Amino acid sequence: MTDPIVSLKGINIRYGTHHAVRDVSLDIAKGEVVAMVGPSGAGKSTLLRAINMLETPASGTLHVGDFTFALDRPLGQKDLLALRRSTGMVFQQFNLFPHMTVQRNISLPQMRVLGRSREEADRVTARLLERVHLADKAQAYPARLSGGQQQRIAIARALALDPQVMLFDEPTSALDPELGLEVLSVMRELAADGMTMIVVTHEIAFAAEVADRVIVMADGQIIEEGPPEQVIRNPSLPRTQKFFRAILERH
Amino acid sequence: MTDLLTNWADWLPQLLKGLGISLQLTGFALALGLPLGLVLALASSARGPALRWPAIALVEIGRGAPALVVLQMVYYGLPSAGLNLSAFLSGAIALALTTAAYTSEILRAGINAVPQGEVEAGQALGMTRQDILRFVVIPQGVIFAVPALMGFAILIFQATALTFTIAIPELLARAYRIGAATYLYLDVLILAGLVYLAVTIPFGWLVNRAARRLGSHLG
Amino acid sequence: MLDTFLALLHGVPVSLAVTGLAFALGAVLGVPLVLMRRAGHWLPRLLARIYIEIARGIPPVVWLFIIFFGLGSGIVTLTPFQAASLGMGLISAAYLAEIYRGGFLTLPAGQDAAAVALGMTRLDRLRFVLAPQVLRVSIPPMATFLVSLLKDTTVASTIGVRDVMMLVTQQAQAAGGGFAPFISAAVLYILLSIPVALLARKMDARLRARTSR
Repeated sequence: MTDPIVSLKGINIRYGTHHAVRDVSLDIAKGEVVAMVGPSGAGKSTLLRAINMLETPASGTLHVGDFTFALDRPLGQKDLLALRRSTGMVFQQFNLFPHMTVQRNISLPQMRVLGRSREEADRVTARLLERVHLADKAQAYPARLSGGQQQRIAIARALALDPQVMLFDEPTSALDPELGLEVLSVMRELAADGMTMIVVTHEIAFAAEVADRVIVMADGQIIEEGPPEQVIRNPSLPRTQKFFRAILERH
Repeated sequence: MTDLLTNWADWLPQLLKGLGISLQLTGFALALGLPLGLVLALASSARGPALRWPAIALVEIGRGAPALVVLQMVYYGLPSAGLNLSAFLSGAIALALTTAAYTSEILRAGINAVPQGEVEAGQALGMTRQDILRFVVIPQGVIFAVPALMGFAILIFQATALTFTIAIPELLARAYRIGAATYLYLDVLILAGLVYLAVTIPFGWLVNRAARRLGSHLG
Repeated sequence: MLDTFLALLHGVPVSLAVTGLAFALGAVLGVPLVLMRRAGHWLPRLLARIYIEIARGIPPVVWLFIIFFGLGSGIVTLTPFQAASLGMGLISAAYLAEIYRGGFLTLPAGQDAAAVALGMTRLDRLRFVLAPQVLRVSIPPMATFLVSLLKDTTVASTIGVRDVMMLVTQQAQAAGGGFAPFISAAVLYILLSIPVALLARKMDARLRARTSR
């Protein structure tokens, strides 16, 4: 692989005595779409949240875009902010700021984090709202929107800071299936535009269709990875076979 | 009965003047006390122990000491420290200190009610800690605290009656003075009670409405 | 400073007596008040509501003035101690009735229905099923109220009760100003409220442990 845009080496994350992520290494190329799947408690979300340091690994090396950090000592505030500026994250619970209009939700971080003027920020916001098909909601408050609409706003908010990689933490798990579809369709468009994406998800159909690579995690480790047709249709490990069979039976 | 009503009509203008002073004291106490309360709320949930422990101690002392003790301390204590303030200013400062201690706990509860996910969203966007506090946590924490703060405003308005002990001519002091002059203590004190009720009961309804509106807004 | 503090201790029995009597009076009077507040007929409900609003809407010091100076001018003459205990007790009844009411609201609807289904009389349901549960959840907020009542009874000094607050004022006048008497008083009130606050916290924790099981 040439020049990975995200590279994790020997990442370990512990909560007290619980070893949530065990010595995981992972390279992701620019423009690649990676789906992370696996049973709950496998450490997928924890690993994802380590990429923008919402979780603090005990050891390992983290490389994102132009930054490389050794994690055996705490990051300075400046490095931390720079790292987070180069990544965008979308949460399961959307986490829009409920006291701000949609426009301010998207424009304020641009003004505070990138130092854009209000006019410039609002211009970017308008363009992104167009892109997530919610141009008419600029002045609405989040509580007035459906979950699917809120999640699309959250995607626009993250995109507004021009991230080099987008991290999705179970973006459709809190949504009714039909609202999940509109979020997945926005993500599909994003992937088609060449955005680098790491997606923790239970949506196997989406992973099969959109992902370039599927990673299966269990017990804090990557147990299997490869192109979706291979990993999902022909998993090599009995454990992976069982996991996908259980999901297919549920649907 | 007609005697009572004519007396009340005679006294009411005096008492309303006193009410004006009671309301001014309330306003000063809140205007000075609320910002201080916010500072204490932030300091007492700060990470550094050098900031946290003094703030917690101040809050606990401020809430543990009776308002009347604080009032007398400011009025009788400050002059011996070389600070001669008017009775009104002493009263306003004392009530503001009590306000700060109590509202800091109310505001802290509001700030703690801001979902952690929104703080994480701010972090993930690369916002600084100060910006997350300023734009995400404080505005919402204050909104959450509004009903309880309004409820406290009623209590501090009632506490202004204590300032008659330092000779501020507020509502109770004026009623007492009329009582002493006419010896009709019961009649004038009941009128004073009614004037207090005319403020506290309608304001209490507003508090309930605010609480309900906030509840439905979040639900 | 220590002398001042020790002098203030002489007021402690009076402060505690006013607080205790007022609390006891309020705890008892709060019961009929909350029953009226929850009555089926509108009239007792309205009367209880009016009582509670008036008792809580007028500052305690104004109540004490009404009782001591108002009623005292020719109607009922009470000693300052009696007037303070009575006045603070009548106010406490309103606050405690609201605390009991909150306790009733936490009861699962099925409790009363189950007792009805067992054929228990209204009084027995209240006595054996509802009241014990209400009292149990009401104890922590009652303890919190007791702490604030202790501080609020400082207003008794304004009608001449020789409590801690009265001694503070005397000490301050004797000393010709200064902070010492007031700081001593603040410390003393905080010390007095600590046992109650600790008890409240302990009971609250025990209650939580029991109901979450």
